[in-house]
Amino acid sequence: MRDAFSGTFRDTFKVSILPFSALIFGIFLLMLLVYFANSIQIFQKEGIEIYTTNKWIASEDPEKEFYGVLAAIYGSIYSSVIAVVIALPLSISFAVFVIDYAPSKLKEWFIIATDIMAGLPTIIYGIWGAFVLVPFLKDFVMYPIYNHLSFIPFFSFEPLSGYSFLSAGVLLGIMVTPFASSIIREAYRMIPFKYREAVFSIGATRYEATKILLSYIKPAIVAGVILAFGRAIGETVAVSLVVGNTFNIHPSLFAPGYTISSLIANQFGNAFIYEYMVSALFAAGLSLFFVGLAVNLLGMYILRRRVHE
Amino acid sequence: MRARKSKDRGAKKIETAIETAIETAIETAIETINLNVYYNSNHVIKSVSLQIPENVVFAIMGPSGCGKSTLLRAFNRLIELQENARVEGDIKLYGRSVFEMNPIEVRRQIGTVFQQVNPFPHLSIYENVAMGLKLNKLVKSKDELNRTVEWALKKAALWDEVKDRLNDFASNLSGGQQQRLCIARALALKPEVLLMDEPTANLDPIATEKIEDLIYELKKEYTIIIVTHSPSQAARVADFVAFLYLGKLIEVGPVEKIFENPAENLTEKYLTGRIG
Repeated sequence: MRDAFSGTFRDTFKVSILPFSALIFGIFLLMLLVYFANSIQIFQKEGIEIYTTNKWIASEDPEKEFYGVLAAIYGSIYSSVIAVVIALPLSISFAVFVIDYAPSKLKEWFIIATDIMAGLPTIIYGIWGAFVLVPFLKDFVMYPIYNHLSFIPFFSFEPLSGYSFLSAGVLLGIMVTPFASSIIREAYRMIPFKYREAVFSIGATRYEATKILLSYIKPAIVAGVILAFGRAIGETVAVSLVVGNTFNIHPSLFAPGYTISSLIANQFGNAFIYEYMVSALFAAGLSLFFVGLAVNLLGMYILRRRVHE
Repeated sequence: MRARKSKDRGAKKIETAIETAIETAIETAIETINLNVYYNSNHVIKSVSLQIPENVVFAIMGPSGCGKSTLLRAFNRLIELQENARVEGDIKLYGRSVFEMNPIEVRRQIGTVFQQVNPFPHLSIYENVAMGLKLNKLVKSKDELNRTVEWALKKAALWDEVKDRLNDFASNLSGGQQQRLCIARALALKPEVLLMDEPTANLDPIATEKIEDLIYELKKEYTIIIVTHSPSQAARVADFVAFLYLGKLIEVGPVEKIFENPAENLTEKYLTGRIG
């Protein structure tokens, strides 16, 4: 193994950064291991049913205990998909606006504003969501739609409290937009000017040009979506304040539900009273690893045909 | 090709003489009237008035930074993509001011090939050519689209090399092929004028020769305005030459006249390599 760079300096440098890379990967593996190890107990008791049933029976008698977190997995994915569906158009429009249209003096301020949004503690969003967003959505979005379109399964649940998948999804969408937007914005900004000229030279309007240029940065958009989804599915406090915390698998956007992370956060405090609940919560957490893996594989699949220059 | 060109030279001289004689009768494709371009307060093009006849190769030559590319981009209003650019004066395409036309229409009629080879790397060879046709709704059916794409690729002398791999990414072509793809992309819109901004500056000599051959073929049907920093390229491909220096039009005329008997001292200095 000889290459042009195998001088001593290069090797020393390589050796000195290696521990850090190993550390990061090692921590990830150990964490995964901890989740596996702690989940074994519930897998031995219930097998795969921990993921495939919707039951939550906490009992003093370990024999009667039974945990199935399907509703929470469903709620996590459902609310995160809503979040991405909302965040994607918002973040693309915002990225294009900031780069192409915002007056150059204001550009940096828009970017700073989104950076602040991204950095806010999530409890801030949660409180705002519970006190402002949920009542607003309930009165001005959910009830009007429910009153007219309740025959459609998506709108078939009466939004009595307003705490629902939709509320969680909208709040998450707002929260993850800055993250998706900054990735898309930077990629859009970095498009070489020669391609902008090329697009306009073939008689494109601004809208058409933007469409073609966005297709050029599709990998960044996919990356933005994956990041947004990851942030959304991992979000805990804000979601648990607006999702309703109810074991519920319902197609309606207006139905209350649960998410994995809010389930863990809500139940962990008293889980130690029970024989199996801690293990069940670890298993629930493990499912998020699988969902994350699946989403990343999906992203790679979408980009599979892409070749780089 | 070189041999053919030098053989043609004699015949061309007569042709040029005739052309000069009847210049007023020849249709003018592009005319600039007292054209000024500024970048912020920087005066880049200074009162340029030019007449470019149709179906010729018209070369704009000059040293780097003299404003050649800027002038070219003014013709089809691509200059307006530069936020700080300001254009004064008028540009006429077949007698009609481009500033009274929709810029999209201007760019459809005046195609551009760039110095930096820029096919869309994420689109297929086919899509690169088809894109402009679709955007401008120039074809009515899938069949017509296919035929026009094939026609454009043939015009750009690329069809034989890519006909079996039309769905391959444009980025997989060689540099010279990519540049011919850009020519096909421009030709597909059936423009009247083709602007070429140093189209061979980033290509190897063989690819350069292919492009120059192509220019020779294309001038039968198109008015070609080519920017070059190389006087020898201007001599090889052009019928008319304009010499631009520090944003000013120094001299313009038939290629033989400029190269053999320049009227201006500056032109002679440039051609003999004393400036530039």
